[in-house]
Amino acid sequence: MGRAMLRIQGGKVYDPVHGLDGVRRDVCVADGRIVADVSGGRVIDATGMVVLPGGVDIHTHIAGAAINFAREMIPEDHRRAVALTRTPVRRAGIGGVTPSTFATGYMYASMGWTTIFEAAVPVLTAKHTHEELRDTPIVDKGCYLLIGNNEIVMDLLEAEDYERARHVVAWLVWAAKAYGLKAVNPGGVAAWKWGQNVKGLFEPVPGYQRVTPARLIAALAQIAEDLSLPHPLHLHCNQLGLPGNFATTLETMKLLEGRRAHLAHLQFHAYGGEDWSTFRSEAPRIAEYLNDHPNLTADAGAILFGDTVTVTADGPWQYLLYQLTGHKWGNMDIENETGCGIVPYAYRERSLVNAVQWAVGLELLLLVQDPWRIFLTTDHPNGGAFWRYPEIIRLLMDADYRRERLKALSPKVLKRIVLPDIDREYTLSEIVIITSAGPARALGLSQKGHLGVGADADIVIYDEHPDPGRMFGRPRYVIKAGEVVVEDGEIQKTVSGREFIVRPAYDETIEAFLQPLFEHYYTVSFANYPVELERIHSAEVYSWEEAVRQ
Amino acid sequence: MGGKPACTLGEVKNRADLIIYWGGNPAECHPRHFTKYTLTPKGKFTPNGRKDRTMVLVDIRETPSARAADIFLQIRPGRDFEVLTALRAIIKDQPVDPERVAQTGLTLDQLRDLAGRMKRARFGVMFFGMGLTMTRGKYMNSSAILTLAAELNAFTKFIAMPMRGHGNVTGADTVLRWTTGYPFGVCFNRGYPRYNPGEFSTIDLLVRGDVDAVLVVGADPAATMPQPAIEHLKRVPTIVLDPKVSTTMRIARVGILTAATGISAGGTVYRMDEVPIPLRPALRSPYPTDEEVLRRIRQTLAARTDE
Repeated sequence: MGRAMLRIQGGKVYDPVHGLDGVRRDVCVADGRIVADVSGGRVIDATGMVVLPGGVDIHTHIAGAAINFAREMIPEDHRRAVALTRTPVRRAGIGGVTPSTFATGYMYASMGWTTIFEAAVPVLTAKHTHEELRDTPIVDKGCYLLIGNNEIVMDLLEAEDYERARHVVAWLVWAAKAYGLKAVNPGGVAAWKWGQNVKGLFEPVPGYQRVTPARLIAALAQIAEDLSLPHPLHLHCNQLGLPGNFATTLETMKLLEGRRAHLAHLQFHAYGGEDWSTFRSEAPRIAEYLNDHPNLTADAGAILFGDTVTVTADGPWQYLLYQLTGHKWGNMDIENETGCGIVPYAYRERSLVNAVQWAVGLELLLLVQDPWRIFLTTDHPNGGAFWRYPEIIRLLMDADYRRERLKALSPKVLKRIVLPDIDREYTLSEIVIITSAGPARALGLSQKGHLGVGADADIVIYDEHPDPGRMFGRPRYVIKAGEVVVEDGEIQKTVSGREFIVRPAYDETIEAFLQPLFEHYYTVSFANYPVELERIHSAEVYSWEEAVRQ
Repeated sequence: MGGKPACTLGEVKNRADLIIYWGGNPAECHPRHFTKYTLTPKGKFTPNGRKDRTMVLVDIRETPSARAADIFLQIRPGRDFEVLTALRAIIKDQPVDPERVAQTGLTLDQLRDLAGRMKRARFGVMFFGMGLTMTRGKYMNSSAILTLAAELNAFTKFIAMPMRGHGNVTGADTVLRWTTGYPFGVCFNRGYPRYNPGEFSTIDLLVRGDVDAVLVVGADPAATMPQPAIEHLKRVPTIVLDPKVSTTMRIARVGILTAATGISAGGTVYRMDEVPIPLRPALRSPYPTDEEVLRRIRQTLAARTDE
């Protein structure tokens, strides 16, 4: 590859995978990877700085039809957003809560994040997602296939043909050129095609006798395991956003006992109360369950006060949010596969519900004991834009600052949350775990999230600063695959990232089963349905067929 | 406020039992729409095809599309907004003045019948064309039909979507949105994207004479735009890329013939419902593709800037 060698010397290295907690040592890079030593090449003097592995975002919405629909819906946000002017090393764009694709790459990199996963992709529009991912520079990326409301899979489960369902799912993962499986409100989005939702986990999905959300969840988690996918089922539980939904979340977690799963944006699923007026936090009960069950990981989906836009495949929830707020409403149902809803939203400190939500996100991050199993996300842009992560890091690391912020909340709120009683402060090592090492491990990306020999040389160097919000807001250097892409918070060079794709094992004859169904249910031809591998630049394919054989 | 309740066309094929075309003539302008997506296909929950569906056409004249419709509602030109607003009131059981309804060319009974069908439908969809979006009221009409569809979701599943056409216009809009945040009318003269329809949209820029060069790709503005815009195209250096000698190419300073996309050039088009479709060329063309020409222009310009 012939890329320049690099030595980062004098910095305090935080690499929890290797037990390095602020140890002063050199980090060396050659050909895009970490090596034991180099002779020659550029030397970065990192004295007075901290050296960390690049951030990994396990759940974000940055590419594809849904986020592009959101961009269309909120020109008023773009107008007040940060404008990125064109320079010799970067293209023009806009920031805001739905940054343009090029801006997304620059903004993640300028914050020190070098790997990101788009969390919701239908097969039918996956070509669009990959086009946008290609136009998202610098960062490495991947995406999860929306499978929780796929009607062909649901019909097979109705017929109790698990075996064939597994082959269909595997075929679909490869057709979408996806990395993992995502289920959103399983059964509920399919019900939304008739304007309905599912009730509870154990009642059949409208139109089915045997398929319930519970069965769907169990089957899909099992399929992810049977296919040896590197990341387990990525689950957006039923009843998102609703008062009292913690009970559904607990039931869901119990269903998953004995199987691995990742629970997405857990903050939106940890509420108590009977209605909006009695809305309260149930974060302690959710955290307690998670603490006792190492088969589960979760990301926070924390919210921050301010304007944003909500983007989710959870069509029925978005319709409810539209009715609750009276804001604009976008809806896009995708034939046979999934749905999508868009509603601009503002989280207000003065709103009781929003203040509880703000506390719940932080409570989960602070009450889950093992940082390897809860990760920093805002479910961008749903809880707040990704570029606001440094604000959350400060709230986690500084209990005094948290207390200060709690003073702004109404006393009514304080009775419904437990945040005031939590004194825990994250260490820098723990921050590295929830932003990099942990998500990399949950994704099965052994070359990410650490600085050991052989790892991808994705490195971020910050000036040490007592305010972690300031420190994480502006890295001194960001190195992606061995190249210095950011200096003093500014883009110096635009490289293109890779895309991680999984090819699970499936019986090739499954196409003969799918094609006639497909011609009946779909409106594009079968040959035009899968994403062509040539469409993807720098694809890195994990063939699990081979992995299993070896 | 309303919104944009939409779906992919397969949802219509599989589920829709009430199909309303408003201000459009699909029989002539989108000739495959009835047979591929809306009327005749037998879908998953519409096993009897046409028999499972009711089609309504709302237009100012009886076009060939009326022959396909079960119900044709002929309204007076420029009265769409009033009809849509009356329907919004009727579905919510609000009083409506029959005399004002009469000014639209329809009767209150006709509107009540339509509103009843809308509320009783299992899955309703409204496709609206330029007869709605480009006539009196313009974007207010679009807003009214989208709001009506959004509000109908209180009773049943309802969708509204524009009948877009003109080649890959949806693709252009999709790509501009991910690269700039905006769908059209984007100005880069400050080095970052800005959006203001009326200020930066093509016709307005041309009519005001704000631009001093024009590059036209796969469009024929001289055939459709107002005369003052065409006059400006003649005044400034206009470069046209098109597979045929179009009206615009005839008045342009430079015309470059290119391979026809979908026939002799590949790529991706976005269908009106934003589903991306890959194109595989069936024939070879002696002409370069649009992409190749644009790339070469860009390379030449970049080389000159370097000098």
